[in-house]
Amino acid sequence: MGAIGGLVVLFVVGFKQDPYTVQSPLINQPAPPWEITGLRGEGRMSLEALKGTPVVLNFWGSWCAACMEEAAVLQAAYEEFDQKKKMVRVVGIAMNDTPEKALEFAKRFGKKYPLGLDDKEGDIAISYGVYGAPETFFIDRLGIIRHKVIGAITPESIQKAIQKLAGQPGGDKP
Amino acid sequence: MIRLPYKPFVVLTLLLVLWSRGQAPALSEEEVEARVQTISAELRCPTCQALSVKDSEALFSAQMRDKVRSMVREGQSQEEILAYFESRYGEFILRSPKKQGVGLLVWWLPVGGLALGGLLLFFRLAKNQKRSGEAAPSGEETLTPEQIKRIERDLKRYEEGL
Repeated sequence: MGAIGGLVVLFVVGFKQDPYTVQSPLINQPAPPWEITGLRGEGRMSLEALKGTPVVLNFWGSWCAACMEEAAVLQAAYEEFDQKKKMVRVVGIAMNDTPEKALEFAKRFGKKYPLGLDDKEGDIAISYGVYGAPETFFIDRLGIIRHKVIGAITPESIQKAIQKLAGQPGGDKP
Repeated sequence: MIRLPYKPFVVLTLLLVLWSRGQAPALSEEEVEARVQTISAELRCPTCQALSVKDSEALFSAQMRDKVRSMVREGQSQEEILAYFESRYGEFILRSPKKQGVGLLVWWLPVGGLALGGLLLFFRLAKNQKRSGEAAPSGEETLTPEQIKRIERDLKRYEEGL
């Protein structure tokens, strides 16, 4: 009877968890620092320089199919929340890529927000515990990672996460 | 007081010995590679199924091996390197459960189960042996006169039947 009870408890706990979610140990932890060179000649960009403004950091690659799917969503978020409302800064870091391929992809899919490239060792991606592309991190104005989305981001999820970061109605204060 | 002409050399040697104790010994390329192989065998390839970073050909695993290599060259220990990856990816990245917390349960539960099973078996066998030792009755002691008569009658019928 005891064994059956144990199994029941195990199933109840197990079924409550989302099998598609891998919790990042970096949530509510300081975001690892990074410094990249802008692909369009913007010069050096770093997380340190962006401190004080929430950051939407997207890891992507020109070889990644889901990145095509989410490109328009990120661009729309950039236009609305970065350029228009000045609520966040949107930055993309291409992984396992070349500047030429990344720029070609950006042009084809209308990515106009600042883009940089991870190094050959993938240091930035590894420091963020990235499993693959795309992954998007939401970093608050103090440089703390508050949320992470694995896979192509949707308009609803990016809006909700940005509102949370900015402490706007519809989202809790970070 | 005796004046040693070689005193500066003694001091220099002592300083060198003290300094060298603080330095990690330089590893040869073979040693670095051997450590990279050992450590990357402990890491799970994040983009594959059931493969270690050592065995995976995925680009991501190659980058992780490069990261391990540069950390080994910096003189970091296996524990420090595994702790770094765990701090970024969580315990999932480690191929062996940690020997603490719930991980400890995973390591010791089979051993505990085996020990418990062995104990149960031992007591069960001991109990059975004791019971059979206590009972060990001879046939005559346990049969009633009616039963003996019935057996004799049946045997007789059997012999007649033959």
